Amino acid sequence: MSKTVTVKTAEGKTYQFVDNGSPMQGGMKDVYFSPDKSYVVAFFRDKQDFNSKERLKNIVIKYRKSIFENIGGEYWKDLFCWPYDIVEHNGQTGIIVPVYQKQFFFQQGYNLAAGNFASIKGKEKEGKWFASPQFRSKQFKLHLDKSELGDWGKYIAVCIKISRAVKRMHAAGLAHSDLSYKNVLIDPVTGKAAIIDIDGLVVPGKFPPDVIGTPDFIAPEVMATKYLPKTDPNRKLPNIQTDRHALAVMIYMYLLYRHPLRGGKIHDTDPQKDEELGMGSKALFVEHPTDKSNRPKLNQVKPTHLPWADVAKIPYTVAGPYLKTLFDKAFIDGLHNPAIRPTADEWEQALIKTVDLMQPCQNPNCEQKWFVFDNSTKPCCPFCGTQYRGQLPVLNLYYSPKPGNFRPENHRLMVYSGQNIYQWHSNRKVFPNERLTAEQTKPVADFHFHNGKWILINRKLTSMKDVMEDKEIPIGQSVDITDGKKILLSKEEGGRLVIVQLVNN
Amino acid sequence: MRRLPVYLLLDTSGSMRGERIEAVKNGLQVLVSKLRQDPFALESVAISIITFDREVKQVMPLTELETLQLPEIVTPESGPTNMGKALLMLCEKLDTEIIKSSQTQKGDWRPLLFLMTDGKPSDLAQFREAVPKVKSKNLAAIVACAAGAEAQDSYLKELTGNVVHLDTADSSTLMSFFKWVSASIGTGNKTVGTTEDIALPPPPQEVHLVI
Repeated sequence: MSKTVTVKTAEGKTYQFVDNGSPMQGGMKDVYFSPDKSYVVAFFRDKQDFNSKERLKNIVIKYRKSIFENIGGEYWKDLFCWPYDIVEHNGQTGIIVPVYQKQFFFQQGYNLAAGNFASIKGKEKEGKWFASPQFRSKQFKLHLDKSELGDWGKYIAVCIKISRAVKRMHAAGLAHSDLSYKNVLIDPVTGKAAIIDIDGLVVPGKFPPDVIGTPDFIAPEVMATKYLPKTDPNRKLPNIQTDRHALAVMIYMYLLYRHPLRGGKIHDTDPQKDEELGMGSKALFVEHPTDKSNRPKLNQVKPTHLPWADVAKIPYTVAGPYLKTLFDKAFIDGLHNPAIRPTADEWEQALIKTVDLMQPCQNPNCEQKWFVFDNSTKPCCPFCGTQYRGQLPVLNLYYSPKPGNFRPENHRLMVYSGQNIYQWHSNRKVFPNERLTAEQTKPVADFHFHNGKWILINRKLTSMKDVMEDKEIPIGQSVDITDGKKILLSKEEGGRLVIVQLVNN
Repeated sequence: MRRLPVYLLLDTSGSMRGERIEAVKNGLQVLVSKLRQDPFALESVAISIITFDREVKQVMPLTELETLQLPEIVTPESGPTNMGKALLMLCEKLDTEIIKSSQTQKGDWRPLLFLMTDGKPSDLAQFREAVPKVKSKNLAAIVACAAGAEAQDSYLKELTGNVVHLDTADSSTLMSFFKWVSASIGTGNKTVGTTEDIALPPPPQEVHLVI
């Protein structure tokens, strides 16, 4: 029988939840909906000690205010599902958390044919559904419906959101301590993501962690020392650096649908020990350039995991040069050296630059729809193998350290029909992040393939100029995009110059 | 990709006839549909069902969750509860169905065993022969469930420290047990605490854990 229960905070504020006898169960908590389903009440099954309660208070009041009640606070409401009150009921501590936004619940779930014997319609979109290869394999009976899977461009957007959210927490001195696809909801249809289960936050030196994380995301040093007592100085517990490992794993999994450390190498014939070594002291990147001992053994891989399990067919370099550099830092140099792992900010920057390198696949049936330009003269979609046909302009961005002098920035912008130039391209002082004003998110120029050639139409740039012909390009006018063309986007301080390279196929 | 083998040993002796066996069948359906909502379980769980009454049958060989179809489960009118034989069959199946890890291949995870009965073993000699064998198989967990007033915990305790006693064996109690089983199978993917044990989730309210 369902009953509505009223609970109180220490200050006397009341909340209600519906107890139907079978709450949703997380790892640590039992979760009940409010009668109007606008929030949930999540009770910790274990009694919370003084320290835990202090931590919760800090999360709910101090840290929440520091993030949400500052400039740009509204922006974060979409990226975090942050608890906002604490209640006590029958000796149990509970937190009040907003319900997840509606895009984070499956509309369709499984493919139609599977609907007869299983359904996940209305269930939360925990990230695992989208990080595992079989749920997108037609050979797997219970694969997700095409309408749920999004495309590769959307996964990049999802990763940007996650990196940005983690960056914000770290900037506030907080570590999540249990980042995993369980605790991050994603929606590949809209490219949104939200971090949930924020109650375990770790504040270095103040509130120690009480979890070591979720398998697949536990940092090697934490796994390797989990047998030591918590008080042992050599015991490694979750912190900002282990969050960085988890973040790197998550990004790798959302872009390549496989785990960066789960390969064919056997460390022990006992599966539990093998797992602990493979994820701990002996952890090795499956795509390590010289030590190839952990490459997946394709004869032992399930057919439903292909082609993603095949690192030769879809190597991590398909994510482009900026992300490759960070994957190297995370899984080769920094795997056992936490101090040099890429920060959330570095991931955000690299992902944003990668957006500019993306090209729509010309194959209308390509499942990924987007791919990163491979810097070759014969660009080709790595996912479906379709070669790009036609003229492909690539813009190289330059900045001016002093008047009259321009230097390359290792930043390129791919051109396709409908591609735009934004303020963060025209001026290096503008960054595409949560601080942009609404006006700044509008395009300032756009590209079109018109009468057999590429043109760029100026919409808002007040000092755009064709440098070679020394000709102003006023607002509303266009300029032809040809090989070697140099265009100054803005004469203002920080204004960029672009130089065109044209690939012809 | 390692499988997580789950063996369900179910009592189908005469006393289970009627409401109880219907509840078990229902419970199995709920178990499977709940697990099919868990992406972690779908990636790894494989289930086998062995029933025992006078006869012992593996009504479903170890099958991956994605493809399995629940078998028909029937109970005879009366007869003994050959739990011992069932455990011996389990040992055989563990030897043949589980992929062992080798120097070149990753094997399965250590299997889980859930055994449910509303009585006690009739074949006590075989039961006593089977217990040490099962224990030597290095299972990840053995959970035994004694359902209803006539079920006896003492024998089950010889097999495992994890004995769940259900005071009644009505459909709602059995259902909560099966839900609990599905939650237990799913724990592998959940947050791991800083303390050492990976605990089973708390049993539903009507269940008593006998330690």
